[in-house]
Amino acid sequence: MPIAEFNNIHRAYERGKNVLDGVSFSIEPGQVVGLVGRNGAGKTTLLRIAMGMLEAQQGSVDLFGLDPRDRPIEVKQRLGYVSEDQILSPVMRVEAIIDLHRSLFPTWDEAVAERLIDRFEIPRRAKIKNLSKGQARQVALLCAISHRPELLLLDEPAGGLDPAARREFLETSIRLLNETGSTILFSSHYMTDVERLADRIVMIHDGSVLIDTQLDELRENYSLALVPHETVSSREDLLGLTNCLGVRDRADAFHAIFQLEPEKASSLLEGVLGVRDTRCTRIALEEMFIELAGGQG
Amino acid sequence: MQLHIATGSELPIYRQIMRQITDAIAGGRLRPGDKLTSQRDLAVQLVISPLTVKKAYDELEREGLIRTERGRGTFVAAGAPAIDRGEQLERLREMARRLLSRAHLSGVSLPDLLELIEEAEAELAAEREASRENPQPDDD
Repeated sequence: MPIAEFNNIHRAYERGKNVLDGVSFSIEPGQVVGLVGRNGAGKTTLLRIAMGMLEAQQGSVDLFGLDPRDRPIEVKQRLGYVSEDQILSPVMRVEAIIDLHRSLFPTWDEAVAERLIDRFEIPRRAKIKNLSKGQARQVALLCAISHRPELLLLDEPAGGLDPAARREFLETSIRLLNETGSTILFSSHYMTDVERLADRIVMIHDGSVLIDTQLDELRENYSLALVPHETVSSREDLLGLTNCLGVRDRADAFHAIFQLEPEKASSLLEGVLGVRDTRCTRIALEEMFIELAGGQG
Repeated sequence: MQLHIATGSELPIYRQIMRQITDAIAGGRLRPGDKLTSQRDLAVQLVISPLTVKKAYDELEREGLIRTERGRGTFVAAGAPAIDRGEQLERLREMARRLLSRAHLSGVSLPDLLELIEEAEAELAAEREASRENPQPDDD
């Protein structure tokens, strides 16, 4: 049974302008899913809907087989959540924040919390406002995982951290996966972090799921074709091909992304459009993101 | 042995790991019976998902290059890989086809490609030679 299921989620902030326009996917136990998309694509909205902080206007979320609207407390006690703009009270001391979380979560594991405090070298008596941004995020992470959540929701967890703090955050996540095999849904703009942590990516674009695939599949079964302008009459010729996910009209050529290995994309272009010897290559996640989500310019 | 991975590559990370271990075995830097870094330690070392390391090790094991002994660890397998010759040739044929179409796409002719293969063979032989003269100590 999936740990989480998003069914046809719709959400608009302005009437008639859906940020999420029918998003559906589910997460199996043990999966680490990287949620990617441009700013404003609705990643945060989706994670907040999962957390019960926002409601979907249409569609439903199912967590652990439960509807969070019916069983909000039970569901939250089985979740962990960290976000970039999460605010821990600046005047509270680290130990008081930990005490608070311990009292909220029946499954709190003191050994996990202790180990993390030691590893992070966080001073217990310090007030949040006197910690660095990276340390404050570590406190948030500690509070989010010490009750051993069945699902961890991370919204841009390394956002705003310097490269060293980001790497440390990543290492902690890897250790966590080693120790508990957690299920994680995390959003990130750092494609290198996504590559290191995720085994599957879900890309949201124009309100719905554009790509949902294993990360390795993405690199093995997708390709970028550079089609010279003079060989086809318009981008629509390319967009009309099956397995073509997007086309950008660039100065050098049409950049077309195919859900095919390079060799197959090349034969498709030759077979259907009669375009021969197109340069087709495998493509890394970051370029894929830019090709699919980037503007036409 | 020291592995390193590159993000932002079009080669999946698990394939980067497989390639480095396979090359090390072919080049004699890893010998039968040598112990590999545990999956968990390698995940922490390389800062990548343990699932990715598991996938690489599983594939290598399927190819007969390494074997895992419960509770003891993972080792370089002794002798020839467990895959039969027919299947191996079939795999090589598949790889050759890919290599050829890749070369075709990049505008590299067959004679140039064959020359490239011979160069690579010479490099591997030199590596094997070097590691025979001064065997590397375990550095993991």
